[in-house]
Amino acid sequence: MECNGCEFRPELYYDSEYQIWLRREETGDLTVGMTDISQTVAGRILHVRVRKPGTLRSRGKPVATIESGKWAGPVPNVFDCVIEAANAEVLENPGLLNAEPYEAWIARVKPAAPDAVEALVTGEAARSGYCERCRREDIHCGRGAR
Amino acid sequence: MAVAWRLLDTGLRRAADNIALNRTLLESRAAGESPNTLRFLRFTPCALLGYHQSAAQELDLEYCRDHGIEVQRRITGGGAIYFDPGQLGWELYFGRRDLGVADMESVSRRLCELAAGALRRLGLDARFRPRNDIEVGGRKISGTGGVSEGEALLFQGTLLLDCDVEKMLRVLRISAQKLSDKAVASARERIVTVRELIGQLPPLSEVQQALAEAFAQGLDIALAPDELSATEQARFVAALEEIAQPGWIDLVAKPPADRSLRHATQKFPGGLISVSVDFDAVVGRIKQVWFSGDFFVTPRRAVLDLEAALRNVALEHLEDTVAQFFAAREVDCLQLDPASFARIVRQALAPAALAAS
Repeated sequence: MECNGCEFRPELYYDSEYQIWLRREETGDLTVGMTDISQTVAGRILHVRVRKPGTLRSRGKPVATIESGKWAGPVPNVFDCVIEAANAEVLENPGLLNAEPYEAWIARVKPAAPDAVEALVTGEAARSGYCERCRREDIHCGRGAR
Repeated sequence: MAVAWRLLDTGLRRAADNIALNRTLLESRAAGESPNTLRFLRFTPCALLGYHQSAAQELDLEYCRDHGIEVQRRITGGGAIYFDPGQLGWELYFGRRDLGVADMESVSRRLCELAAGALRRLGLDARFRPRNDIEVGGRKISGTGGVSEGEALLFQGTLLLDCDVEKMLRVLRISAQKLSDKAVASARERIVTVRELIGQLPPLSEVQQALAEAFAQGLDIALAPDELSATEQARFVAALEEIAQPGWIDLVAKPPADRSLRHATQKFPGGLISVSVDFDAVVGRIKQVWFSGDFFVTPRRAVLDLEAALRNVALEHLEDTVAQFFAAREVDCLQLDPASFARIVRQALAPAALAAS
């Protein structure tokens, strides 16, 4: 599923700005990554830093930071959580975030509240919000061209 | 009507203060407590790491300690730089939607083009060079970097009014192994200062005015001088507590990597090319290359532009990047095949060359 060439996955959860995607794991943990929109806006990603496992991150404090074209920026966090793990493959090869944003997860986190995903967007509501942001900000994705 | 922005001049300060002010102004802009701001700043001698860099990898810490050079970590991305009172810093704090462009590359381009316009007001033929530099005749005069937080962005640049190249090279370990006259001369060719171009140092106020006018006109804003607010003062105290301590500087700490440069020289039909490559073997990425030798390329600056285009390029994209570079501009190489520039880099990185370096 796409909007302006930006891939969308209806089975995932998203923040209200579609900066990050989240997937619920059987353990109750959430896997966090960047959306196709975010990797496009960022450009070629050169560095990723994930907070140490065990670190408590409160809502609004980033779980990770990325760097592209000399811009440092947060991978935002929309609920209180503890960092469980970082994706070592992505830490070594940050370009994976550009190449395959929905496979290249960044961190696994344990949310403080078990119902944290309830506040997130998913399914058809997410698809329309995701497309709306692509249109509003005139964002066009083209991973093949990178 | 032009939107009101604050003009803030925080003068000459130590690096910890300046970085804490970055944090302060960005956070308070993100919290909606501060107006959009153009800030001018200067530094007492210091080495500044990019946010994701490690001090032991990038800097000659012993040299810094012996020469009273403060080491600090920026909150913005990019590479390590040496700063002393001979450079002027300029910074813009604004909202993500204020420039009307969504992606970060476009934000950089827009602001670098305005800053280059300011230098043209001073009589310099300055241009933006992707992705983040401002150059005059192919030589870098201003580097930039940025950081985002929520809806707020900070974009900052360094203008080389004057520069102690030798000290800069020592601090940045660029050729710390053997700081030859050749290395200094080669670095000098690649950067240029306002003093060198106009033969003297213009008054700081004149440079600041040129920058302020260029940003005001280009962004359609009205700049009004002001000070830090009381809430910003309070945030500054808190930010300084985090930043003026070793934990912040060691936030990213990797062991010193083998920074010895890899070299190759080869005679191609059309000329002799030498190259030095600073290569990050862990991620397989070219950090920087320097070409020299005996070959004919017009305009000559194309070589410096090619070096800029190869910064941070993954080795697998080397040949494509070189091909695209020459396809995108008119460069006369006479008998020299442009692909030779990719070949010589490959040769410098070949296993045999690595073993020998």
